Amino acid sequence: MFQLFLIAFRNLGTHRRRTLLLGGAIAGVTALLVILMGLSTGMKETMLRSATTLATGHVNVGGFFKVTAGQAAPVVTAYPKILELVRKEVPELDYAVQRGRGWAKIVSESASMQVGVGGIDVKDEPGFRQVLQIHEGNLDGLNEQGTVLLFEKQAKRLQVKVGDTVTISAPTMRGTNNTVDVRVAAIATDVGMMSDFNVFVPSNTLRSLYQLRDDTTGALYLYLKDVNQVPVVQARLRTVLADAGHQLMDNDPRAFWMKFEVVNREAWTGQKLDITNWEDELSFITWTLTALNGLTGILIFVLLVIIGVGIMNTLWIAIRERTREIGTLRAIGMQRTRVVAMFLFEAMTLGALGTLAGALIGLAVCLGVDAAHVGVPAAVAMFIMSDRLHLVVNAGSVVGAMVFITTCTTLISLIPSFLAARLKPVTAMHHIG
Amino acid sequence: MNAAVAQSPIVSITNVTKDYTLGKVVVPALRGVDLQVHPGEFISIAGPSGSGKTTLLNLIGCVDTATSGVVSVAGQDTKQLTERQLTHLRLHTIGFIFQSFNLVSVLSVFQNVEFPLLLQRKLDKNQRKERVNQLLEQVGLAHHAKHRPNELSGGQRQRVAVARALVTRPQLVLADEPTANLDSVTGQHIIDLMKELNQKEGTTFIFSTHDAKVMNHANAVVRLADGKILDRLTPSEAKRALAVGAEGH
Ligand SMILES: Nc1ncnc2c1ncn2[C@@H]1O[C@H](COP(=O)(O)OP(=O)(O)OP(=O)(O)O)[C@@H](O)[C@H]1O
Ligand SMILES: [Mg+2]
Repeated sequence: MFQLFLIAFRNLGTHRRRTLLLGGAIAGVTALLVILMGLSTGMKETMLRSATTLATGHVNVGGFFKVTAGQAAPVVTAYPKILELVRKEVPELDYAVQRGRGWAKIVSESASMQVGVGGIDVKDEPGFRQVLQIHEGNLDGLNEQGTVLLFEKQAKRLQVKVGDTVTISAPTMRGTNNTVDVRVAAIATDVGMMSDFNVFVPSNTLRSLYQLRDDTTGALYLYLKDVNQVPVVQARLRTVLADAGHQLMDNDPRAFWMKFEVVNREAWTGQKLDITNWEDELSFITWTLTALNGLTGILIFVLLVIIGVGIMNTLWIAIRERTREIGTLRAIGMQRTRVVAMFLFEAMTLGALGTLAGALIGLAVCLGVDAAHVGVPAAVAMFIMSDRLHLVVNAGSVVGAMVFITTCTTLISLIPSFLAARLKPVTAMHHIG
Repeated sequence: MNAAVAQSPIVSITNVTKDYTLGKVVVPALRGVDLQVHPGEFISIAGPSGSGKTTLLNLIGCVDTATSGVVSVAGQDTKQLTERQLTHLRLHTIGFIFQSFNLVSVLSVFQNVEFPLLLQRKLDKNQRKERVNQLLEQVGLAHHAKHRPNELSGGQRQRVAVARALVTRPQLVLADEPTANLDSVTGQHIIDLMKELNQKEGTTFIFSTHDAKVMNHANAVVRLADGKILDRLTPSEAKRALAVGAEGH
């Protein structure tokens, strides 16, 4: 009924200070909620983007080759044929790269460290340029054989600069140790945990380290146009590759380097392929995502409780103050349900306007901070694998937050308005305060 | 008069008591009241402050409940009605002018008067407008229709309350000191308006008052003292009785 809305609107307008206070508080929570969600989503996205570029594709065709039962090497032999098959059978593919995999000792004049060595064809890796910030040197330097890409932290530990030479040493499949000397071509800004245990060399350099053939690689990293297609593609690849006569390992949702133990214990020799997805390869860091989600959740919960109590208090006082008015309306013949509806509508209007304002503020802050490329402390950078703050606003969750908070406000006002409407009209009319 | 008596009463009160409890103290405001009011009557309830006038009107107006006894309004025992039915009765049968006006502060004068009509949902917009303007005219507030109650004087607010009570043309109008805040000319005007409605439409009026001039217009004056009905007098008898009583003040 129109008059109900009129009273509701007039009330909001008449008690302008209280309306602004309450609306402001509601807007504040909404804005904070939107920012927190933006931050959390952004961090996750950054982390996954860095990790999926550097350490895994969306779907990977990897595997192990065993000369003897107890000696597995993380390689895929005769990969061009497999790549051809993949290109034919996976129309969802955006691009595919081959990546060598190794675990080696890197030695400089003053120090040494154990690292994962990735073999890349840098000209085929568009993602690298987006994810890595080159601090010193040039990524194109990796086009040349016998070069290496280090991260800042590693360069500091090894005490090397661009142009210096380090030695990489690793056991080959035949059980002997082999070494190659590589020149530092580029030093990239740290990208969190990835930069602790990964260096990159040109594919052929890695092959010569392990004395592998040209058609051998570590794994094929497949990047899809749509990440949601991962399960479909993964399932299809299993059948297609099996049909093509390849031996497949059982599905094991872990990173490849966690599988050596199992693979070495098994009796088979020769080549087996392993189809994994990005979640498998990153399973060892997904706890950080869980932690991030948990932290965001707790923060949001505490925030909501504190501000919810404040809003509840003010709303209750506001409705108690109008008990006399409620008494009057009841006395001249307004039904209880109508009275309650009137207050609910008022709270809902307040909630809707407040959350709308809050969502807009939150959105502006998110976009602003994102555009400003704000730096983050090293500890945070370690987890999100980026030195910049990235915020992603998800329209669905913003609307969800708005609806949630508006509903809460409305429900909170239900109790006092119900109590006030339940009073005898005469009692309500003589209510003081 | 005889014709009116022959009809069944619109208000029938039988052995009604009302106690207020203030903490542990029980204040008896009404102690066994019997009263019959017939359709078309114009009754004045007189009595000193604290004698229970407001309490009695509240019971008749269904905004409060009796401690014991039977209060029947328009042939219905109010104890037997649900809250919803009581609200319906208040909206459609009763018009109440409260001692403290009780206007809705966020609505304009026009909207305050219109409100019961909106709740009733019987008239369309134009009919409502016509009815409200006519009443505002009659109470002399035609030029204040757009004002908010807090922009009006006490007397003007009282007149808005009068207009709001009369706008639905209820069968029964209860008025608690309707002229207390008005100058004698305006007060007289309001009483004339009520009297006119009483005669033209047969509306029943029950009002409490201290004002002897107002009592003149009543069919009967019910004197209340200390929560009990003393007697039911004609206006002239009441004037004499009051004149005696006034010396005590
Ligand atoms: N809400 C209440 N709580 C407690 N006692 C009350 C309440 N309302 C009225 N009383 C008491 O009941 C008695 C009757 O009060 P009531 O208001 O009916 O008197 P009244 O005749 O209307 O007086 P006045 O002429 O001053 O308006 C008084 O003693 C009063 O103190
Ligand atoms: Mg009174």
